[in-house]
Amino acid sequence: METATLIVVMIIVLALFFDFTNGFHDTANAMATPIATGALKPKVAVLLAAILNLVGAFLSTEVAKTISSGIIREDQIDPNAFLPLIFAGLIGAITWNMFTWLLGLPSSSSHALFGGLIGATIVGAGWMAIDYGVVLSKVILPAILAPLTAGIIAFLATRLAYAMTRRYDAKPDGRDGFRWGQIFTSSLVALAHGTNDAQKTMGVITLTLIIAGWQSSADADPQTWVILACAITIALGTYMGGWRIIRTLGKGLTDVKPAQGFSAESSTAATILASSALGFALSTTQVASGSVIGSGLGRRGSSVRWRTAGRIMIGWLFTLPAAGAVGGIMALVVAWLGGWGIVIDAIFAVVVILTIFLLSRRNAVTAANAMSEVAESGTAVKVTRNPPPTRRQRAALRAEARREKEASK
Amino acid sequence: MSLSIDWFAFIQVFLAALLAAVLVVGFYSLGLRLLVRAGRVPVVGPAEFTDAITVITVKDAQRAAKAAAKAARKSPLTAGQRQVAAVGAYLSFGMAALAVLGGLLLIIFNH
Repeated sequence: METATLIVVMIIVLALFFDFTNGFHDTANAMATPIATGALKPKVAVLLAAILNLVGAFLSTEVAKTISSGIIREDQIDPNAFLPLIFAGLIGAITWNMFTWLLGLPSSSSHALFGGLIGATIVGAGWMAIDYGVVLSKVILPAILAPLTAGIIAFLATRLAYAMTRRYDAKPDGRDGFRWGQIFTSSLVALAHGTNDAQKTMGVITLTLIIAGWQSSADADPQTWVILACAITIALGTYMGGWRIIRTLGKGLTDVKPAQGFSAESSTAATILASSALGFALSTTQVASGSVIGSGLGRRGSSVRWRTAGRIMIGWLFTLPAAGAVGGIMALVVAWLGGWGIVIDAIFAVVVILTIFLLSRRNAVTAANAMSEVAESGTAVKVTRNPPPTRRQRAALRAEARREKEASK
Repeated sequence: MSLSIDWFAFIQVFLAALLAAVLVVGFYSLGLRLLVRAGRVPVVGPAEFTDAITVITVKDAQRAAKAAAKAARKSPLTAGQRQVAAVGAYLSFGMAALAVLGGLLLIIFNH
């Protein structure tokens, strides 16, 4: 087997492994809320998430095209030198992803992937090999705007849900029914996750195939076998990672009420699906976290715990440069040592993956090291037990007080 | 190096997502409101996961069921009005589902 072919195979294997860890990481984004509110049993939720991730991967390929033909200027790079750089970038992304997962630090799989690829390309091929316009408009700006968009929409949707079901006669308001609705909305989030996240790996594999000359650069669409492989891998990762959801439940989502969860999930799914259709590569974790915070603020008498919110946001800010730095170091090893550099990178990847896997097995899985920044974002909003009355409630209280006063006269 | 940013695309995402969320949440909430009006207050059974949290205790679930039954008994509406409300509720749920389906079809056919 030729060296180039071997590297392509190694990249595909590594990319699929990344896809698996992505599914493994992110099951909770879709399914933590419905389990927390009792809408779904954990096993059913995990299976449903896996199936819908699989289906979602087939819905669109816009995000894959952004990665395969936008961020990196393949035409300005020597193909033989570029394949090891993709490999180095993937190792950077996986290393950062697994490291943050082990330490329980807030991170984003998607930004780790972009960071790793961009860092490795800059180190190996120079600053001009990156299209900063595409990076800014399709990666950085969506990273800032998408959680904000999801938060604002979740805020408005929560207000709407509470306003429409509020009763002033002390009779049951029927909000328990939102638990059933959450089965529907959390399924949509799983579908949206498959649509956006599986495509990132499709994009990396397609980019590799284009560079290797196995696919025409004029057609940046992922091939059917690539879509199928990525869809199956992300679904498998989702299913395997699902059991950890239960561990995160006590952490932050216990205060999420069904109406709030329903609104947050509707907002998450709508934002991710709309963005995917336009080719924006988002972090689903960040969007889901933005929605949970926004929907928390949509409840009366709530306020932001800025310290928790700030910790989450700092974690997000660090992901791209940190993964970029790891990817850059890996690319530097390749640039200095050539073929031996690739071997060293491969050994490093295997050692990192095995070490972190063994460490994670040895240490007890707790809410602190398991996963789900979404659950953590639930604690970023403080909701009072007795919210202040609405305008109509205040008017009713005033009228009652007036009646009592008149009666006492 | 071109740094042209398509701001319209961001506005498009915001408006499309807002419209979708408002339609789904709005119709679903309306459905729940009408369901309560029809005397069919949704009550979810108790759920508990041993190594996590108690979602709803048996006592809470019983209390909710009792309140729902009481509200249904005391409804001032006629049987016909309740029937209309129930039909309206299911229509609203259907509209919420249609909004989602429409959105997904738009994505598939625009692709």
